[in-house]
Amino acid sequence: MTGRKLLMSFPVTPTSHLLSEVRARGGYETLKKVLTSMTPEQVTKEVTAAGILGHGGAAFPVGRKWSVVHLNDGQPHYLCANADEGEPGTFKDRWILENAPHQLVESMLIAAYALQVRNAFVYIRGEFDLPYRRLQGAVDEAYAAGLLGEKILGTDFSLDLVVYRGAGSYVCGEASALITSIEGKKGYPRNRPPRLTVRGLYQRPTVINNVETLSNVEIIVRLGAEEFRKVGIAKSPGTQLVSISGHVEKPGVYEVEYGYPLAKFIYEDCGGVLGGKGLKCIIPGGISTKVLTAADIATVTYDHKAMEAVGSQVGSGGMVVIAEGTCMVRLLQVMLRFYHHESCGQCTPCREGMGWLHRTIDRIVAGKGRPEEIDTLVRISEANDGTTICGMGDAAGYATVGIIAKYRDEFEYYIANGRSKNGGRLEVDAIEREVAHA
Amino acid sequence: MPDFFINGQPVSAAKGQTVMQAAEANGFFIPTFCWHPHLSVSGNCRICVVEVEGEGGGGSWMEIACNMPVTEGMRVLTDSEAVRARRRETLQFILLNHPVDCGICDKAGECTLQDHHYELNGLPSVSTIPKVHATKYFDLSSRIVLDNERCIVCSRCVRFTREISKSNALGIQNRGDSSLVRPVENSNFEADPYSDNVIDICPVGALLSKQFLHKARVWYLKATPSVCPGCSRGCTVDLWHRKAEWKLNALDPRENTAIARVTPRENPAVNGPWICNKGRDLAQIFERPRAQQALLKGQPAPLADAIAAARRLIGEARRPAALVSNWGSNEELAAFKAAFGDRFECVVKSDWHAMPGERLEDELLIRADKNPNTRMAQQLFGDEPRLVPVDADLVLVWGEGASFANLPRGAKIVLLGSYLAPENGHAEVFIPVSIQTERAGHYTNFAGVVSRFEPIVRKKDGVAHAEQLFAQLAATAEAIA
Amino acid sequence: MSSMQHLLPEFEQLKKRYPAGFESSLTLPCLRRIQKERGYVADEDIDWLVEYLGVPRIQVEEVLSFYTQYRRAPIGRWHLQTCRNVSCSMRGAERLIDHLARRLGIQPGQTTPDGRFTLSHVECLGSCGTAPVVMVNDTYHENMSAEKVDALLEQLK
Repeated sequence: MTGRKLLMSFPVTPTSHLLSEVRARGGYETLKKVLTSMTPEQVTKEVTAAGILGHGGAAFPVGRKWSVVHLNDGQPHYLCANADEGEPGTFKDRWILENAPHQLVESMLIAAYALQVRNAFVYIRGEFDLPYRRLQGAVDEAYAAGLLGEKILGTDFSLDLVVYRGAGSYVCGEASALITSIEGKKGYPRNRPPRLTVRGLYQRPTVINNVETLSNVEIIVRLGAEEFRKVGIAKSPGTQLVSISGHVEKPGVYEVEYGYPLAKFIYEDCGGVLGGKGLKCIIPGGISTKVLTAADIATVTYDHKAMEAVGSQVGSGGMVVIAEGTCMVRLLQVMLRFYHHESCGQCTPCREGMGWLHRTIDRIVAGKGRPEEIDTLVRISEANDGTTICGMGDAAGYATVGIIAKYRDEFEYYIANGRSKNGGRLEVDAIEREVAHA
Repeated sequence: MPDFFINGQPVSAAKGQTVMQAAEANGFFIPTFCWHPHLSVSGNCRICVVEVEGEGGGGSWMEIACNMPVTEGMRVLTDSEAVRARRRETLQFILLNHPVDCGICDKAGECTLQDHHYELNGLPSVSTIPKVHATKYFDLSSRIVLDNERCIVCSRCVRFTREISKSNALGIQNRGDSSLVRPVENSNFEADPYSDNVIDICPVGALLSKQFLHKARVWYLKATPSVCPGCSRGCTVDLWHRKAEWKLNALDPRENTAIARVTPRENPAVNGPWICNKGRDLAQIFERPRAQQALLKGQPAPLADAIAAARRLIGEARRPAALVSNWGSNEELAAFKAAFGDRFECVVKSDWHAMPGERLEDELLIRADKNPNTRMAQQLFGDEPRLVPVDADLVLVWGEGASFANLPRGAKIVLLGSYLAPENGHAEVFIPVSIQTERAGHYTNFAGVVSRFEPIVRKKDGVAHAEQLFAQLAATAEAIA
Repeated sequence: MSSMQHLLPEFEQLKKRYPAGFESSLTLPCLRRIQKERGYVADEDIDWLVEYLGVPRIQVEEVLSFYTQYRRAPIGRWHLQTCRNVSCSMRGAERLIDHLARRLGIQPGQTTPDGRFTLSHVECLGSCGTAPVVMVNDTYHENMSAEKVDALLEQLK
């Protein structure tokens, strides 16, 4: 077991996401408690006291974000759940949308109450089909039951929730690009200042939180901050939904209590590396986090400070397991191709840099690389660190610098010999055998 | 009023100003591409990054100056080693795919990218990959050509059509380094009367004027201040023409005096940094075929003879009337008043009217009155609409736009005009007069702002300056009176 | 007059769910709906939509070019969207795409001459745990293999 469960705390069946079953499990009781016996300030206080950090990748303290919104300032506030989930390797918000959409809806109701929001949005990536239908189904159920709309549960609190579908753009997972997309435009991120909690959607105070982050709000208010903090560790309270994939025996979504030993999670709970191969490295939290070798993770616990101490991050919870024998040069090529495709093109370092990174690594993979090009990849990455409008430039840089730092020898080999040290392999032998037999 | 420091020097900033605005206002140099004082902040080029020293022992941080609010006591460095290194990296990116077209690019000599590269970087590219290609010659409109390879996607042109001309005619298609500036597909940009301003504000040679394309290197040209006569806004402009020391010997001598192009002359009191396309096309007005030969009843005559004949007619007239040109300069109008104001029934004429399809008026610059000096003309000669008295026996017609068919049947006509026209031959006396590019003077715009224009060429000998001519024509009239 | 005018009542209903002043936000959902109806977004659809929403035409043009899911021209009846991001590549996506390309006789980005299939590369679909994934029109097909994809193609008429 990967620790205590807060979100994945019920058996998933083909009907467990429906309102009737959710209610049977106690769903919307917390909302009732909030609307009848708590003030907005009290809700925010509880969330702040819980110390929960954002689960979208940036790990920003949620209470602190919420506190920037001034109550009773005479202008509309907006709440957006970030369900864009485009970070490669990440599919954990999808679990919530498909299996616990009411958890999100109820949490958004509570958050909207705390932030004096009258209109909330869930920005869901356009490709998601079943998650969208489940979520929209839950929203429709909630409206029908009087849990959304005017005068909810007989109180003065009203909330309208719109599920807004994206149309194919990774950068719309960035908060300011997300709201620009909701405004009906291209997903161009915005410079800060102003912060989005000051001027966001249509220039109004807006809070954007990840789906998993918001889904914890109901739990925090139900348990109380103190009870909630008993799960996880002091600096990383609660749990993280981890989506694990790649060269792993049992890929899927797991709820991991913060502080849980990472090696145990991978080798035991997830069945270890595919086909019993040795572990080369992992991408811990989406491809924008730096890779960690088997040695790096031998004794690390899964929480924010510990992951930072070994030179990476919890990130988005999208963990990718990479077996021995994988070609890291080709793997980086796949990632750089992705960043190049997804750059919005607004700012100079990322627009030009992503193309430059991609074309350079294409040369190396094609056997035409030159020795100085490894340093060029690093130079481009560093020139994108903290210099761009949004974090995408930085992300591509971290991926690049992280892989080159640990596996420079593979790049040098590829350039010197015109071919991969690992046969250009991305798959693991076990898989190739499986397909041949099927 | 927050006070802060730039490079150690104390600077006062107005409330709400950014570091860029405060630096600009106080003479500190911060390079820019995408920032423009009259457009919203885009913050995409990243060249204006400055360093801010940390407070209380904290480390310094770097951020773009155009979006950085000034805070009390902040210490900004615009030229530290860190800032210089950052600029060099940014220029590496900007120049990564930029074609080195300087040798064939019209923008050379007035190109922000050239200037910044020379001053701030000057280093060769470290790239080992071929440059990305894009459309080299895109017909943005019948007036503007777009080179997407040169474009650095700063979005100034897009913001201009969104915020200033409000035609919403330009946008950026696709994403990443496939981004392309493109016009909206319904020809709105063709119809935007302010379209050519994007040529000025483009920091590179991506947007170029078709009428100026490959005509001349800018350093062979000089800019002479003038005033656009296209409407009563009276935008101040620069008329560009060949420098005397760079005159062309072998080609048509008119090349040396022709207007190569017209650009706005920044003027906070009138037009800011913009003009409309009509102002760009002033050559089409000023370089129409000129009348250079005096005529008596349609027959060529020496100028002196024509002046003498006109003076006689004026002297003999019992009920003389005059149609006053609202294209006259302040000086010419004053001279006209002095010469004829007492004796003549002076009626202000509108030399020009709006052409079919021409925008009449809007909230930006264009005004319905398509003449430069109605204000002064009306101030001197009255603003109520009047007609030439039906019993006038002499009509002194000055300038364009008078239809002889509307004048009293029996009246003799003395015509003072600048351009070849059939009416010139129908007048008793025709005397050619100079245009604004041949003399200095002033116009008064609709709001009373007075602006000066200067000559770019000498008038021909057979042509008179109206200001002096009026006194000559009136000499005998005074004697009679 | 666009032949998509019959969607107008639906758009009016959609508008009611948004606060006042959010007309511009309707751009993305309306385009998606039009594309669902027609298979792509036609130039005449843009004219009509722009007038209905009151947004600048350039905004709609930009949106159509920026997001990968919009099309301004028809494609094959079955859109085979193959992910080749990290986890999918690590579980056989590259071989799967080669197999598909050989089977259909087209390269990614192309449509079969009979108009039945269009093959595309897409980036991460958020289904890494069930890689490799092929998205056919709106539906995810997970844990794919060459055999499974062959069986799937048989069913797609």
